[in-house]
Amino acid sequence: MLKCTMNGGQLKVFGKTIQALARLSNELWLDPSKQGLVLRSINSSCSAYGYALFSPVFFEQYQWSTSGTMNHDDIPLTLNFKFTMQFLLPIFKCLNFLERNVEKCKMFTKSGKCRFIIQLFCKHSIKKTHNLRFEESRPIQVLLEKNMCTNILVIQPRLLAETVVLFPSNLEEVTLAVTSVDFCLRSSNEQAADMNSSVRSSMCVDRDEFDFFQIGLDTEVTFCLKDLKGFLTLCEAVRGPVAIHFDFPGRSSPARARLTLGQSRSSQAAESISRKISRKRLCPTESPPESGAQENHSSPLKKRAPSREQPDRECSPVFRRVSTERLG
Amino acid sequence: MKFRAKIVDAACLNHFTRVSNMIAKLAKICTLRIRPDKLNFILSDKLASGGVSMWCELEQENFFSEFQMEGVSADNNEIYLELTSENLSRALKTVQNARTLKIKLTNKYFPCLTVSVELQLSVSSSNRIVTHDIPINIIPRKLWKDLQEPLVPDSDVSIYLPVLKTMKNIVEKMKNISNHLVIEANLNGELNLKIETELVCVTTHFKGLGNPPLASQSCRDRSPGELTEVHIEIKKLLQFLAGQQVNPTKAVCNLVKNRIVYFDLLHEDVSLQYFIPALS
Repeated sequence: MLKCTMNGGQLKVFGKTIQALARLSNELWLDPSKQGLVLRSINSSCSAYGYALFSPVFFEQYQWSTSGTMNHDDIPLTLNFKFTMQFLLPIFKCLNFLERNVEKCKMFTKSGKCRFIIQLFCKHSIKKTHNLRFEESRPIQVLLEKNMCTNILVIQPRLLAETVVLFPSNLEEVTLAVTSVDFCLRSSNEQAADMNSSVRSSMCVDRDEFDFFQIGLDTEVTFCLKDLKGFLTLCEAVRGPVAIHFDFPGRSSPARARLTLGQSRSSQAAESISRKISRKRLCPTESPPESGAQENHSSPLKKRAPSREQPDRECSPVFRRVSTERLG
Repeated sequence: MKFRAKIVDAACLNHFTRVSNMIAKLAKICTLRIRPDKLNFILSDKLASGGVSMWCELEQENFFSEFQMEGVSADNNEIYLELTSENLSRALKTVQNARTLKIKLTNKYFPCLTVSVELQLSVSSSNRIVTHDIPINIIPRKLWKDLQEPLVPDSDVSIYLPVLKTMKNIVEKMKNISNHLVIEANLNGELNLKIETELVCVTTHFKGLGNPPLASQSCRDRSPGELTEVHIEIKKLLQFLAGQQVNPTKAVCNLVKNRIVYFDLLHEDVSLQYFIPALS
């Protein structure tokens, strides 16, 4: 059972997060817990996973209690609410309008009826009520590993956004190549080269531009540009530094990259978004790419000083994997 | 074949970017000819472009602080390459905060024009290097003859153009009514744009435009008030006008009755000639 309220500004951030997650998939999992409200989505090929945690301090009011459902062992079952983005997105369509006009937003579940109510109390005593149906479903939890990533970068999202603008909008994949002295983002275009094929672009950034730059392993990671763009749109709204954790542990498991959003100075939100990025095979002799939902999840970042020496690497809780996909 | 050039001056960078944007609007695919003293963007009048052709010339020393080239051979010290013009203009979009721009001919997996921009966003930040590899086709020598400077026919009337933006707005509206347009002018500084359909005729008159000094004898024999007209496709005229983002230093329209309209423009030191054939 969930009940929370927020103001117009918080609603805008919440809506931006939903929009960013909508780029991955048409389904959104909403998972209230004691730690806060979690929004998750995963794309159809299970190569990108978005996760956002809004801690209770983000909201004006946050109440949560376990649902009445018990499993056969009399242990309360934590269930997710699964929504279809198609019906959720129109509510958060004009975020600037919402920010200006909504005085208070109340969201709560109707117990026993699989209904999620969003009430917007707007100016001039206008009240809009959205009544959404959700499915209770098992959460898409992911297997986490506690090992530390060898490569950690912390940068301002503006830097990534500037780089992304360079690439043509129809480009599907970009490759991130790092060495101990530089960082390079380039278009990966494997098509046969002729005059009509796309321009290959690359941007190299000096390590001095990063807030934190630790590269233990020279590596290259390829990922989908569209996923990154969605994430960057959210970063602009929250305005915090972005931490990128990635490594290349070996052939047996895919490289993981986690983009973590830092503390926003303006709001009290503690949010993190993680994305799993599949490594594209560069060498044909290696085994085919894994595409499971393997993920690192960072715990919520509490209020911190904006310039931090060390990115957050607190121990993450290990969730049991529910998905039956083999990750190898 | 070798080509390397560098621009360090901000004004030159911006000017080069504007030229490249203009070319991108005028021709989807064009030829770039590189000579020791100049660069040309060429669109030849093949069927694909509907008979429209373009010749744009710029003196390399007005732009580049460094310029080295080696053509196909000592006798033919030129390079002709074909590229998608939008690729170049998009690559130059990042030039806003650039300190230097380098262009060179490379062969990374396939022949390309590598545009490399060194950006510096603020005094304290270090440099960022952005590289774009634009795929190109090298044009073989046997095709060079089709890409030479066009012979400019003697015009019946030459007239200075009005503000191009105004002209573009008018032609844009006319496009909704008809596909063809008549452009006519005389030696009294009058230019008319006419469209005619079954239901309606619309004419826009420009007066007091001025004519450049009479070039040929045939011009001198004409009575000043006599109008020369050429029928052309509106789309082609509109494409030309849309390419002119900035008002040129000089703009002349030349009409050869029932044959061709050609525009002679000068954007600071870059010359552009654009030919639109008459409808038969």
